[in-house]
Amino acid sequence: MYYIDLAVTGIGFGCMYAMMSVGLTLVYGLLRILHVAHAAVFALGAYVTVLIANATSSIALGFVASIIVTPLFGMAIYRLLYEPLLKYRPDVPMIASVGLLVLMQDAFRIIFGEQGVTFRRNAFAFTTFNFAGVTVSAVQIAIVITATVVFLGLHIFTTRTRIGIGWRATVSRPQIAASFGIDPIKVRYLSFAIGSALAAAAGGLVALMNNLVDPGIGSVVSYKALAIIVLGGLGSVRGTFIASLVLGLVEAYGTIFIGGWLDRDAIAFLALIVLLMLRPQGFTGPRTA
Amino acid sequence: MLKQIHKALASNAQLSLGFASMLMFGIATVTPASADIKIGFQAPLTGPSATDGKSAQIAATMAVEDINAAGGVLGQKIELVTYDDQAKSDQAIFTANKLIGEDGVKLVVNGSYSASGRAAAPVFQKAGVVMISAYGVHPDITRAGDYMFRLVHLGPPQGAATALYVGKTLGIKKISTITMDNDYGQATMDGFLETSAKYGIEVLNKYSYSLKDRQFGSIVASVKRDNPDAVYATGYFFTAGPLVAQLRAAGITVPIIGSQAFDSEKFVEIAGPAAEGTYIMDSFDRDRKDESLQKFFAEFKSRAGYSPEGVAAVTYSAVKLMADGIKRANSADPEKVRDALAATKDFPMLEGNLNGFNSLHEILMPISVNVIKDSKFTPVGVITDLAAFAPPEK
Repeated sequence: MYYIDLAVTGIGFGCMYAMMSVGLTLVYGLLRILHVAHAAVFALGAYVTVLIANATSSIALGFVASIIVTPLFGMAIYRLLYEPLLKYRPDVPMIASVGLLVLMQDAFRIIFGEQGVTFRRNAFAFTTFNFAGVTVSAVQIAIVITATVVFLGLHIFTTRTRIGIGWRATVSRPQIAASFGIDPIKVRYLSFAIGSALAAAAGGLVALMNNLVDPGIGSVVSYKALAIIVLGGLGSVRGTFIASLVLGLVEAYGTIFIGGWLDRDAIAFLALIVLLMLRPQGFTGPRTA
Repeated sequence: MLKQIHKALASNAQLSLGFASMLMFGIATVTPASADIKIGFQAPLTGPSATDGKSAQIAATMAVEDINAAGGVLGQKIELVTYDDQAKSDQAIFTANKLIGEDGVKLVVNGSYSASGRAAAPVFQKAGVVMISAYGVHPDITRAGDYMFRLVHLGPPQGAATALYVGKTLGIKKISTITMDNDYGQATMDGFLETSAKYGIEVLNKYSYSLKDRQFGSIVASVKRDNPDAVYATGYFFTAGPLVAQLRAAGITVPIIGSQAFDSEKFVEIAGPAAEGTYIMDSFDRDRKDESLQKFFAEFKSRAGYSPEGVAAVTYSAVKLMADGIKRANSADPEKVRDALAATKDFPMLEGNLNGFNSLHEILMPISVNVIKDSKFTPVGVITDLAAFAPPEK
C-alpha cells in the first residue's frame, strides 16, 4: 500500500509538471527560445485563481478567470518581449525572459504581499478518498484527470483538426506551411496561448493543493520545467509528458530512500543527469510537436 | 591687506551681516548638535523571507518610536539605520560592512535569519560592534565572540525542551520527525534527537524537506506507514501550513508538534481546520496580561495588517534591550554597552521575563507552549526547567 501511495504521489507530481512544462516545450519547438518567464505565467495563473475564487466564492470561476487572463499575459510576453528580439541570437530573448521572471516575482511580492494568498474556503485541499488503504486526495485526482484530458485533447487537436495540423506543419516547415496559407504569427500566438492556459491550470491546481500561493511559487517551475523539456526532447509534447511522469515518480520514491542526504531537487537533477547520459537526445529526441 | 578688509566691512553693512551669518552657520554645522545614537538594523526586506523581514522592520521601527517618544536614551534620540540583507550571507556581510564603514554604527540589531546573522557576526565582532541577534538561531552566531548576543532560544535547546515536553508532559513513546533542511530546522531537530532517548522517546523515522517544498506527498505517505504516536516537525509557517494540511488530509490524526517558526496566524490560515490541535513549541504567549504587550499587539496589527508573531515581538524587545543597555552603561560606547548587556537581570521582554544571559550570551528564559484551539493560539504550558534545556556555556 505504501509503495502504491508513493506511486500515486509520483503520478500526481508528474501530471502537474507536465502541465507546467508543455508551454515551455511548445515555445522552444516553435521559436527556439527558452521561455524562462513561463514560471511567471504559472505564478500569475495561481494568483488569479485564488483571488477570483475568494472574490466570487467560487473556485470554478477562479479557474475560468485564470484560464482566460493568463494566456493574454503569455501572448503579451511574446508580442512585447520576444518578437522584437527574435532577430538576435536565442540567448538574447532568454536573458530578457529571465529578467522578466525576476521582475514579476518581486512584483507579485509587492502587489500581493510577502505572506502570500490563501483560499478563503477550500474544501478540496482537505478532501481525500481511501481506496483499499491508498489515500488519494481530491486535488490529485483533479490533476491527473486534467492532465490526461489535456494531453489527449492536444493529441487529437494536432492530428485531427485543420488548425492543429497546420500548427504542426508550421513548427516543422515554417516556409512551406506559410506557402500553404497558414499564418505563422497566428501559430505563435496559439502556442503561447495554449501553453499559458495549461500553466495557469497547473498553477490553480497547485494553489488548491497547498492552499497557499506565495511570490516564489514559480521558482521551482523555472528550472525544473527546463530540465523536463530537455529530458523529454526539446520541442516534443509527448516527450515532455513522459519526462514529467518519470521525474515525478523519481522524486516520490527518491525523497524517501535517499532524502536523508539529498534534497528533492538534487534527486531530480541527479536523475536527469543520469538519464541524459544514457540518452542525450531526450526520450523522444528533438522533434517538432 | 587686513586693513583693506576692515575698511570694506566697516563701510558695507550688508557685507558684514553676510559675513557674520556665514560665520555663525559655519560654526553651527561643525559643532555637533545633540547627535542621534545610531542602531544598525539588518532584515530580509526582499526575497523569500520578506514576510519575516517586514514583521521585524515594523517592530523595530515601533520600538525606536516608543523609545524616542519617551525621551530617547541619555537625552538623545535613537536612529535606526536599516539595510536589506535578503537573508543571504553575502548580503549580510556586505550590509554589515556598510554599517561599520559608511554609517559608523557601533550597535546593531540583526533581525534576520540564521544564515545572515552567522555571516555578519564575525564581521561585527572584529570591528568591536555589539550585535543582538533577534531571532537567528544558529550556534555560531554567539560563538563569534563576546560582542554577540542572542535574544531567542538556540535551536538545540528548543529541540531539547521539545523532547522534555513530548516525553514527559505528553507521554509520547514513538515519534516520526520531519526536518526542514536549513540551519534553523536542523539545529532544532538535532537538539530534539540528542535528548529524545532521555525521555523514553523512540524516533521511528526521520524525514527532511527543503525550504522551497510545499508538497509533502512522499513524507506524508511514509508517516502514515510508520504509524507513530505523534509527529514532530520543524519549519516556517509557509511550509508548516501545507505540511500539516497534507498530514491531516491523509488521515493522520495523532498530535503534531511544531517548532517555533510555526507560530504565525498565517499558519492557521493556510492549514485551516487541519491546524486544530497543533502544539507549537517556544510559541509567543499572546494572552499574557501585560499592558505593553497588548498595546504592541494593537499597534502592530494596525500597521502591518496582520497580528504580530514571535519574530516581531522579539525584534521589538531586541531594540528595547539595546536602548536599555545603553542606559545602564550610561554610554553608547560599544564596550560599555556590551558589558551592560551581559549583566542584564530580569529584563521585561514582550514574550516574558528575560532572566539574563549566560557566559556565551545566550538567554536564560522559560519556554512557553501553545496549542491551536478554535483557530487561536492557546497557552498550554511553560517549561521552566531551565537546566533541562540550558544553552551551551562558553
